[in-house]
Amino acid sequence: MIELQGLTKTYGGKDVVSDVSMTVDSGEFCVLIGPSGCGKSTTLKMINRLIPLSAGRVILNGEDVTTLPEEQLRRRMGYAIQSIGLFPHWTVAQNIAVVPRLLGWPKSRIDDRVEELMHLFHLDPDFRAKHPHQLSGGQAQRVGVARALAADPEVLLMDEPFGALDPITREALQAEMQRVHQETGKTVVFVTHDMDEALKLASRFAILNQGRLVQYDRPIELMFEPADDFVQDFLGKSDLGLKLLSRRWVHQYTADAPYAGVRASQGEIIETMRSYGHVWLVDDQGRPEGLFGARLGVAREAQQGLGRLTQVETDWTATPDMTMKEALSRMVWRRVTALPVVDDAGHLAGEVTMDGIMGRQP
Amino acid sequence: MTTPTVLVSGTDARRWMLLGALSLLLAALVLFMRDLEPLFRDAFPDLDTPVYVRETFLQLTLDHIVLVLVSSAISVSVGVAAAVFVTRRMGREFEPLVSALSAIGQTFPPAAVLAIVVPLAGFGFTPTIVALTLYGLLPVVQNTIAGLGTVPPAALEAARGTGMSRWQILFRVELPLAMRVIIAGVRVSVIINIGTATIGSTVGAKSLGTPIIAGLVGDNIAYVIQGAVVVGLLAIVTDLAFERLERRFTFGAQAGGGAGA
Ligand SMILES: Nc1ncnc2c1ncn2[C@@H]1O[C@H](COP(=O)(O)OP(=O)(O)OP(=O)(O)O)[C@@H](O)[C@H]1O
Ligand SMILES: [Mg+2]
Repeated sequence: MIELQGLTKTYGGKDVVSDVSMTVDSGEFCVLIGPSGCGKSTTLKMINRLIPLSAGRVILNGEDVTTLPEEQLRRRMGYAIQSIGLFPHWTVAQNIAVVPRLLGWPKSRIDDRVEELMHLFHLDPDFRAKHPHQLSGGQAQRVGVARALAADPEVLLMDEPFGALDPITREALQAEMQRVHQETGKTVVFVTHDMDEALKLASRFAILNQGRLVQYDRPIELMFEPADDFVQDFLGKSDLGLKLLSRRWVHQYTADAPYAGVRASQGEIIETMRSYGHVWLVDDQGRPEGLFGARLGVAREAQQGLGRLTQVETDWTATPDMTMKEALSRMVWRRVTALPVVDDAGHLAGEVTMDGIMGRQP
Repeated sequence: MTTPTVLVSGTDARRWMLLGALSLLLAALVLFMRDLEPLFRDAFPDLDTPVYVRETFLQLTLDHIVLVLVSSAISVSVGVAAAVFVTRRMGREFEPLVSALSAIGQTFPPAAVLAIVVPLAGFGFTPTIVALTLYGLLPVVQNTIAGLGTVPPAALEAARGTGMSRWQILFRVELPLAMRVIIAGVRVSVIINIGTATIGSTVGAKSLGTPIIAGLVGDNIAYVIQGAVVVGLLAIVTDLAFERLERRFTFGAQAGGGAGA
């Protein structure tokens, strides 16, 4: 757990970071975000004391960091920077092993750890003996992040670690980062000015503006209760709703589906449709075959009339592990307001509906 | 898999061969100068002794090398230490002073240094070492400062961020990364001193300058040629060896760039 208390940095009489207080709980993925020059990097570097504080305190697991020897503190905190900063005269393996070596780990343990990390970040074992100038930008950034993680630090500080990458590599690394975070449960403080990246990764947002912390919240709270116009504007610049849905899963939105067997009587079907407005027809194995009722999009209703049977085709079913963004996209594409959710065997497991999306916090 | 070392390219191999060949030539000249007597006798029939024999060329060369080694060792240790000091936070304000002092060291003619030091330290080895050391200081100081300046700021920030101490940063990151440029400075310093060491002979330090001075004084052009050729070859061989050494401290991005001397 990291507590920032009244963190302030003054350069030449001007506060570039001003009275920032927040608590990052263990295992949290905290993203510091804000426009360029708002003090993100400065805040981050005050946490590991690369920049001395003008005022305030940083408490790491109950200890004031100024009471710890600088070097020891930094070895407990992995640090990755945008410019990567690999050591050009060392091999990939040596670069990754910096902190373990400083900590005096035995060689065999270091070797194992390097191998493990290279595997974790999908770096080919052949890269061990390469030098940084032989790596692509994406590979170098992987090595930079692996180096930060090497000694299994309690806390990971990352300053735009994926800054200089093309969108595809960037997304791959974000996914890796997400996976690593889930697997290791580390406390991460991550600086970015990219809202997409933040939404993908953050469990908490810290929005900075002109050196001040304007809001510190979970993504949802941020969206529904922006602290001020600045936050609103900052969020409004992106398709936040869709982005949030891209982090949600169909199984989180699945509701019980009204259904009837294909051999059910007409009365039964109409009865169900009366109460629910629609009914899924399932075959003998429980696979959805068609839909009766008003659950179709407006355009189709007009075309086909109420109560016509529409055949279920595979491109308008959803699976529990699909993102809600994709499910929504299928609804839009097929112009329907409901999708049957099917399990691995193709059985009807429930449904997701437009009302369900709207009626629930994303 | 591929190794990170520079592949031996065509020019690379040729340079190694050149270095080897010139080293052999130098060794042969130094060891067997006397056997060239018939050659010099033909070339300079008027001279009584066409080959310098008061000392062996092996002895003179070794004396010469000792002069250069001792003075360069002092120049390098003092120069690197001074440059490291003025690039630390506490020494930053001394940078102009140190740069100026080492520049004065080099612009001051070695002959003048000898003239000043001889009355204080006597004749022979010591004044020569003083003159050579002062003379060789500037390239070392300048290049060490320049070399430390070429260390990428990102690598420095990463070094601090990973929790290296100041000394660890200096010895594990800064000096290794600056090494190529530092060696370039040492190269210049040593080459200059190989040439300049000859003037030690004017104040009684034995060196390859001894036959040259003897030749100039005694009107024996053959002595001058013998001394000068060996000095010249020694300088060329040393220069090539340094060039090989510098290559080993080239890391990727630096390959083409970096400040020279
Ligand atoms: N050493 C310094 N001296 C004076 N001002 C500084 C110094 N370092 C940073 N600043 C100023 O502090 C402010 C915050 O800088 P910081 O690097 O924290 O911004 P940032 O939020 O990380 O921006 P970016 O997204 O561009 O990286 C900037 O206005 C910057 O000009
Ligand atoms: Mg920054």
